[in-house]
Amino acid sequence: MRQVVDKLITSIGRVLIGKDEQIRLAITCLFAGGHLLIEDMPGMGKTTLAQGLAAVLGLSYNRVQFTSDLLPADILGISVYDRTRGQFEFHPGPVFSQLLLADEINRTTPKTQSALLEAMAEGQVTVEGETRPLPHPFFVIATQNPLTQSGTYPLPESQLDRFLMRIELGYPDPRSERALLSGVNPRSRLAEIKTLLPAKQLLQIQQHVADVKVAENLVDYLQRLVQFTRDDPVFYYGLSPRGALAVLQCARAWALIHGRQYVIPEDIQAVFPSVAGHRLRGAGECANHDGDVLANLVLSAVDIF
Amino acid sequence: MTSPVWKIHRNGLFWLLVAFAAVIVLHADHLPSWILLAASVATIWRIQLYRSAWRPPSRLIKTGLLGLCLAGLVVEYGSPVGLEPMVALLVSAYLLKLLEMHHRRDAYLVVFLAFFITALDALFDQSIGNTLYIIGCLSLVLAALLGLHSTDADGGGQLRPLGKAMAIMAQALPLMLLLFIFMPRLGALWSVPMQQQSAKTGVTDTMSPGDFSRLGRSGELAFRVSFEGAIPAQQNLYWRGLVLAEFDGRTWSRSPLSRFQDSGLVQWYGDPPKSWDQLIERKGEPLAFSVVIEPTQQRWLYALDTPKPDSEGVGLTRDYRLISAYPLRSKKQYRVNSWPEHRLEPQGLPPQHRTVYLQLPEEFNPRTRELASRWRKMVSDDLELVSRVLTLYNSEFVYTLQPPILGKHSVDEFLFDSQRGFCEHFAGSFVFFMRAAGIPARVVAGYQGGERHPDDYLVVRQYDAHAWAEIWLEDRGWIRVDPTAVVAPQRIEQDLQSVLGSETDFLADSPVSLVRFRHIGWLNQLRLQIESLNYNWALWVLGYDQIQTAFLRNLLGDNSLWRIALALTGVGGSLLLLLGFWLLLPRRRERSRDLLDREFLRLCQKLEKAGFPRQVGEGPRDYAQRVAESRPELARELVEVTRMYEAMRYAGETPDARTLARTIRSLRINRSG
Repeated sequence: MRQVVDKLITSIGRVLIGKDEQIRLAITCLFAGGHLLIEDMPGMGKTTLAQGLAAVLGLSYNRVQFTSDLLPADILGISVYDRTRGQFEFHPGPVFSQLLLADEINRTTPKTQSALLEAMAEGQVTVEGETRPLPHPFFVIATQNPLTQSGTYPLPESQLDRFLMRIELGYPDPRSERALLSGVNPRSRLAEIKTLLPAKQLLQIQQHVADVKVAENLVDYLQRLVQFTRDDPVFYYGLSPRGALAVLQCARAWALIHGRQYVIPEDIQAVFPSVAGHRLRGAGECANHDGDVLANLVLSAVDIF
Repeated sequence: MTSPVWKIHRNGLFWLLVAFAAVIVLHADHLPSWILLAASVATIWRIQLYRSAWRPPSRLIKTGLLGLCLAGLVVEYGSPVGLEPMVALLVSAYLLKLLEMHHRRDAYLVVFLAFFITALDALFDQSIGNTLYIIGCLSLVLAALLGLHSTDADGGGQLRPLGKAMAIMAQALPLMLLLFIFMPRLGALWSVPMQQQSAKTGVTDTMSPGDFSRLGRSGELAFRVSFEGAIPAQQNLYWRGLVLAEFDGRTWSRSPLSRFQDSGLVQWYGDPPKSWDQLIERKGEPLAFSVVIEPTQQRWLYALDTPKPDSEGVGLTRDYRLISAYPLRSKKQYRVNSWPEHRLEPQGLPPQHRTVYLQLPEEFNPRTRELASRWRKMVSDDLELVSRVLTLYNSEFVYTLQPPILGKHSVDEFLFDSQRGFCEHFAGSFVFFMRAAGIPARVVAGYQGGERHPDDYLVVRQYDAHAWAEIWLEDRGWIRVDPTAVVAPQRIEQDLQSVLGSETDFLADSPVSLVRFRHIGWLNQLRLQIESLNYNWALWVLGYDQIQTAFLRNLLGDNSLWRIALALTGVGGSLLLLLGFWLLLPRRRERSRDLLDREFLRLCQKLEKAGFPRQVGEGPRDYAQRVAESRPELARELVEVTRMYEAMRYAGETPDARTLARTIRSLRINRSG
């Protein structure tokens, strides 16, 4: 398992230099069977990461560039009258794929954003009164710009909750940036990436994740973490039970990609900021704090015993 | 990162305040009123603190409040000795601490104080109603303790802690019953001086005009009696309590003879008979009965003539009444055998007794003295004189609860002018008359009659209080003469209400007493039910120690303390052992996990001493790695220990704390190398 994951990381690492940790988290999210939200400034490699993931996993892949005039039908599909056959025919939209890259999701209107909602939650879409199943597996990798950027519509909380994880890429370290600047444009290597993990194998791994053992006292630890977010006045609201489940699921996947069949506290701590960060909001003095900061605050306030 | 400040959860505070109010109300009847005021202020302050509307008291204000409370206590009680000042002191500490709760441990202190103060109330009142209230209070305090631990995540709302507290109380019930039934009453190791309850109604050891009419206004319970056979006729129920022989012109009080309580003048139960015992001639079959008396703070007890005690701690005095070895601070039960047929000292009075029972102050009541000596000369026989006086009473006199107020020569005024009076007027004037005529006489105070409860026992209330006379005649000894019986025979044959039912003063001090409404059928039924419940409570619960002694004696052969202790330890110990097995067996695995944590924490301590304290929230692997980076020579061992711990703790391998402990112990860490 470790070798497989390492190969995936090296492979993607060739197009996204110096971001092994984020790549690992992204893979964790997919193994855990959840949707991924990548948030950062333009030009940090969000799309590259998404494309790289799609490539190594060999999934059927569609990309939608979200703009302010994008309509729900542009994503879900539309029925068009076929004159030769004399009837309406459904033209599936880009959502009918195994991996949907929703680029700059917060550039579009809430109406279009919520069109994705059913697809992400239920694995199916309802268009013109007819419910159509989506392929399996179905992932959404969305990228978004920080909300402080102009021309953005913040994602509603309900939709944020559909994303299992949110990761930030951040600036590359000087050495990686140097390598980036002095070499060929890594994006050109995208075409060279080969499929390393076929969809069938991915589904198997997702099943293995469920078998990873979580000791009783780690559940206690998780409960204390969650309870802290609910009790402490620093938080505007606490983590939902779905949020807690998400942490557990990701910790299992994280343990698995590190070659373990059991979860240790460090697994929970490794995934906690990414899983809980976008589900928390600060209150009072901490209202402007980023979710990751709040999540790290929780980790440093709750002991593992 | 500051650790979150502990805040009292609103559930906890709510129940803390409710319990506080309940405890204060519980003690309200013996607390000074300013403490009640202070308690309300403290409550309001605490609520305002919670709402952040007011600031917590500063150190100066706290010192001031403490000083005020102490000063108040000194002014109120003077001496700190006694139960009431001590309770008041505790209560003031309790309400001051309520203002000073900053941490959870402060709240604990308040809760434990509340438990203690609640239990203290049992020293004051053990009636069934109060006991239920105490149990209610305990539930509230328990609810407060549970409320302190509630979080918003608990749900279930404000009432949840109370429900849980009730459940816990219910679970404690079997243990309570077990202890009640088997735990021997070992007696107090120390005694607490009770404050004299001066306002308590009841027969006192002096009698001046008006004393007994006051008692007629009260429906309070005096004592209850259950007879082994049938209850004797109403007119024979003279409950002798006190003998008053000394008269100062206005007040009858006890003679010096009967004030010696522990000398040779008391025949205690179980002691060899005193010499004067043979002066009593007991004839026929005795009446056996048992009395449950309410606390009076006095030592005298009540019994029918002529009594002989049948209970530990009860004695017969030289003037043929019963006393208790200790003042009655709580309900007391005692058994008596009485011989209705008897003669007391028929052979003759000792000279010093004769002086005592003929004593009269010189300067009072000249008209009565004159009449007595005139009549003395007119009759030849003492008995004839007695019947003459009784005839006088019968002719003109009125029995009433509202006698006119009498002046200096009270007997003269009563006999010749007002001619209206209550039992104390009749008894007092009769004894005065007899003494003036040279016949030894004394006033006896106690109760007369009582109400027959359908459950076959007798209830004697304060308004049954009565005074009558005893005179000594040659060859007949002391005989009872009750002048009231001549004036108002119904009083003796039935009860006071049948004579005075229409008088407004009857039961005036007990406006809501159910006795007042005994003509209403269902209410009377209810009254009798409550009465019966109270009696059984006193008999079976408060008086259980006597039953228990016999019961333990039957069960264990004898009731020496060590045998009881052995039996209790045996039964209790094996029960606890079984409980322990039952609790521990399925959780052994859990326990050994805790041992793993203990070993790991030992490792943390070891590393902390070496200068690497573990951070809050730092996992074992991260920790080991961090230490290993600074101390590479330890890396291999640390990785090994961590791997072992993780495997046992998280991977589900069989916990083996011993191996882990050994590995950790073998780790040699030098102070920062």
